[in-house]
Amino acid sequence: MNFGKIFTIFRKELKDTLRDRRTIIFTFTVPVLAVPLLMLGIFKLMAGQQQKMEDRRQEIVVTGWENLPADLAEILPADSTLEFTTESDFGQTNSDSLQAALLRGEFAALLVVPPHFEDGLRLESQVELEVFYDRAEDESRTALGKLRELLKPYGDKLADARLAARDLPVDLTEPFIISPYNIASPQKFAAQGLGRMLPYFIIIACLLGAMASAIDLGAGEKERGTIETLLVAPASRGEFVLGKYFTIMLMSTVAGLLSLASMTVFFKYFASDPALKGLSEMINIQLEFSTVMLVLAVIIPLAGIFAAILLSLSIFAKSAKEAQSYVGMVNLAVILPAMVSLLPGIKLNHQIALIPIVNISLVIKDGLAGTLEWQYVLTAFVSTTIFAGIALYFCKRWFEREQVLFRM
Amino acid sequence: MIQVDKLVKEFKDKKGGRVRAVDGVSFDCKAGEVFGLLGPNGAGKTTTLRMLSTSIKPTSGNATINGIDLVKNPDEVRKQIGFLSGATGLYGRLTAREMVEYFGKLYGMSKDKIESRIQELFTFLDMNDFARARCEKLSTGMKQKVSIVRTVLHDPPVMVFDEPTSGLDVMSSRNIVDFIFRCKQQGKCVIFSTHIMSEAMRLCDRVAIIHNGKIYQEGTVNQLLQSTGENNLEDAFLKIVGEKPARVQ
Repeated sequence: MNFGKIFTIFRKELKDTLRDRRTIIFTFTVPVLAVPLLMLGIFKLMAGQQQKMEDRRQEIVVTGWENLPADLAEILPADSTLEFTTESDFGQTNSDSLQAALLRGEFAALLVVPPHFEDGLRLESQVELEVFYDRAEDESRTALGKLRELLKPYGDKLADARLAARDLPVDLTEPFIISPYNIASPQKFAAQGLGRMLPYFIIIACLLGAMASAIDLGAGEKERGTIETLLVAPASRGEFVLGKYFTIMLMSTVAGLLSLASMTVFFKYFASDPALKGLSEMINIQLEFSTVMLVLAVIIPLAGIFAAILLSLSIFAKSAKEAQSYVGMVNLAVILPAMVSLLPGIKLNHQIALIPIVNISLVIKDGLAGTLEWQYVLTAFVSTTIFAGIALYFCKRWFEREQVLFRM
Repeated sequence: MIQVDKLVKEFKDKKGGRVRAVDGVSFDCKAGEVFGLLGPNGAGKTTTLRMLSTSIKPTSGNATINGIDLVKNPDEVRKQIGFLSGATGLYGRLTAREMVEYFGKLYGMSKDKIESRIQELFTFLDMNDFARARCEKLSTGMKQKVSIVRTVLHDPPVMVFDEPTSGLDVMSSRNIVDFIFRCKQQGKCVIFSTHIMSEAMRLCDRVAIIHNGKIYQEGTVNQLLQSTGENNLEDAFLKIVGEKPARVQ
């Protein structure tokens, strides 16, 4: 092994790769721009949709409006996003046809006030207000929620008055209350929100970064007919493998880091967007220097695994097109374990820290949350490095096989 | 300068059996001599030349190139050889100059040496106008010149050409033919494979007829013609490999 030669090969491959527009688009544009923009779009859509539903007016048809006590009838129109219509104004009095109209979505909910409702309240017997709604419709569910919120203070007031009339304390009916105090740091909270997704996107960015250059550096040699020239040049197969391997690894690592950086910047910027105010705490990731170093430390060996596997597949393929289809399979095999960070309840332990990709996904997640246990980082790092080493060894052996190199 | 001794190369076929692509090929070639391997497609020419240029390993047999043992010391052999084939490609995104420099570095040449050789060869082949253009933008003829410079940059004593004119037009193949003559004049040992008889007649001092992985006969073009009693190489070739062309009665 001659390190000067490896460096010569590495420099040439890097130059070649950086001049390839397709590779650059895959490596940098997708993780840096496309993914954050896509996620933001989805967030905005979700937040906007939620807001819209709450702001929208829902119509509630009331049968037996005249049975409502006067003070309650005054309270109901207080919510300007609800519109109450009496059955006669609606033009239907039959209960079945009202329900059919509700199903057809002509209004959002049907409130039935029984006769003697007011008497029941006065006599302190429990009375029932029936609300018919269509659970399968967002509008209808929202209307039910609003109606509940509107009526609850009225009921509470009545209960308090009844207790007071008997000289009983108002908290009598509530033997205990639960008071939750949030002690999670904003960092940890954000890590549970968006932080669950970040490791996934970083790992996919690493894979994408490695993919494009691996295809070009392996199958591309065959497609251009340069492989024969290369093989008669006085450098060993091992030197060529390493030169190419380090190029792919570098592209992969850079893509991973860029993805982390761009997501952080994007979400910091958009956390101040009023449309996303409900989510701002969840997406406001605090990125510290030590976190960046941690991510870097774990994605380098991960990039090593990707580089060795992808380069082996790519040099085996006769054309870039064939390589593309092999690489697609790797894509599938990586996506699922990378998604572990999205699943609730999976925590790092010594066994899980040994599983490649899964361990990196969880280490990055915990790192962002600031809840990392260092012994697992070490296990994950060592395990991934060993896997990368084995993959590289087989990649080198693979490169020494004439059947692979001259498979044309 | 080159002694080839009973080279054999076996490949696995699809059914797991073994196929002899090259079956005990021996020949030699002196400095300043052009030696031609003449044979149809699939005769074993490319496999033989790939073994000589160390891109594949022989199953058995050996060769000595400029006094260096092929099997024991392939890395040294590579430095003695300039290899050019019709299928040789260039890195499209590198410029002509970068392409040549890269191989110069791989051959372990010093920066100054690379620079002076580039000056010399680019001027000689009239390439300075496109030295800084990317290879993908060059015409076929220009690409050919870049390949030639890449092949001889390290001034190897042995040149190996594997069907160098296949797929080229008249002008570009003329460049190659001229180049082969120049190598001969410079005293290099040239091995050259082709299936084009006229090329072999024009260029080769000696010819070996190769078919089914074996050398059937070897000698100067005149010797081959005399021994077969034919007056052109094509008929001589067919007679030697024992395949009579079907003639219309």
